[in-house]
Amino acid sequence: MASVFRPGLLRQACQPQSASQRMLSTFTSSSTVRSSPLAQQIRPSFVRKAIAEQTPRIAAFHATRRQQILPPLPQKIQGTLNDPAPVPDPAPAHGGYHWTFERVIATGLVPLCLAPFAAGSLNPVMDATLCALLVLHSHIGFESCIIDYFPRYRVPLVHSIAQWLLRAGTVVLGIALYSFETNDVGITEAVKKLWHA
Amino acid sequence: MASVRAFTRLATRRTAVPAVWTRSFASVDTSARDPISKLGEKIVPDKAANITPESETSTKKEPLPDKDAKIKTFHIYRWNPDEPNSKPKMQTYTLDLNKTGPMMLDALIRIKNEVDPTLTFRRSCREGICGSCAMNIDGVNTLACLCRIPTDTKKEARIYPLPHMYVVKDLVPDMTQFYKQYRSIKPYLQRDTPSPDGREYRQSKAERKKIDGLYECILCACCSTSCPSYWWNQEEYLGPAILLQSYRWIADSRDERKHQRLESLNNSMSLYRCHTILNCSRVCPKGLNPALAIAEIKKSMALAG
Repeated sequence: MASVFRPGLLRQACQPQSASQRMLSTFTSSSTVRSSPLAQQIRPSFVRKAIAEQTPRIAAFHATRRQQILPPLPQKIQGTLNDPAPVPDPAPAHGGYHWTFERVIATGLVPLCLAPFAAGSLNPVMDATLCALLVLHSHIGFESCIIDYFPRYRVPLVHSIAQWLLRAGTVVLGIALYSFETNDVGITEAVKKLWHA
Repeated sequence: MASVRAFTRLATRRTAVPAVWTRSFASVDTSARDPISKLGEKIVPDKAANITPESETSTKKEPLPDKDAKIKTFHIYRWNPDEPNSKPKMQTYTLDLNKTGPMMLDALIRIKNEVDPTLTFRRSCREGICGSCAMNIDGVNTLACLCRIPTDTKKEARIYPLPHMYVVKDLVPDMTQFYKQYRSIKPYLQRDTPSPDGREYRQSKAERKKIDGLYECILCACCSTSCPSYWWNQEEYLGPAILLQSYRWIADSRDERKHQRLESLNNSMSLYRCHTILNCSRVCPKGLNPALAIAEIKKSMALAG
């Protein structure tokens, strides 16, 4: 009787598909790769059909095509909600010492880069030191990029591949600069020539 | 009784007794009642009954839309977990700023009360003490209760949940990881030795001054969620808010576990993912400086190392 007078109730009674929507929602949330087209294919055909029918026509939130390099994974909580996040073991070589070393190199590079401008190429030792510090500095910088953008917990294989590529590149660069320093004019003179060229 | 009344009425009609002196009955016959009421009016003038007719009064019309209404458009991020198939969408609301409070939270509350009750957001104290209403307003993480609505109605406000957090619903982010990380730094006083006089642990004024600018943090997560490093490595990097809190206990003179606290941060991920981007200090709605606290931790780590 109440539904006759309250069209809201009537509407609810006439549309039983809300229940089926809920069932669908549990299905989709349990499948971890919801957005991938593969999952759409794997789904049984009746479910696919139901999704196609029920998905309302809403303008897409992303106007452009999704081009996520590293999309976030579904939320995963380690332990219970009240457990603290795991604290890693202390590793000063990757922590405090690493940071101090990095800063020493960075500050050391400042006078080494400025001195040749003032006095030209003073001697091969200083030139070699500049080369070595530049190599180390760029290695640390790229390593930081790899740790940031290819996290080990997220993409362990890509992370280690990138790390080894970087190490190989650093070694190659070191050898190249060594031969350049010993067999050629050295980096300061090379820059000077490029400057005047 | 009824017959008696009927006879009385007949009697009054027929006799020449003025109607004024007749007894009135509870009757719809107004002609029978008029005289006595008019008589009463003459004896005691009833002001309430003396109604000014509508022709002599002004007309109150239905409220027109204000000519000087300041209609502001708000685009608000909406996502309902009950409809996992539907994508997040931006819902547009318009409000008259003259009828809205000055702060973004007032606008949100007004939208929820008067326009759309399904809009979901966290709020509690509405004065920047609880840190519940942290959200991304016009591209800046801030507390909605401390963010004034720009009065320029041409610009449309856009409100999103805190960036790069899992969304529970609409503007409500999931803070589980954030709170778990807070728990991991042991945010409480750790001491083994009792105080010398058995009373409270005393501090000098200088020691107390060290935790000024640290203890005021309300853990709204505005700074952490503005940090790109925290976006990329939320699982391992602690983020500026937690590091500020960590430094609050490292700097506390009463705490005796400074070394252990530093050790727990001494790895490549927990602390050193900070690249001094300084978004944290820029957005902090309480005006704190998490980047300074992180720099202090790095300094004490370097000096202790």
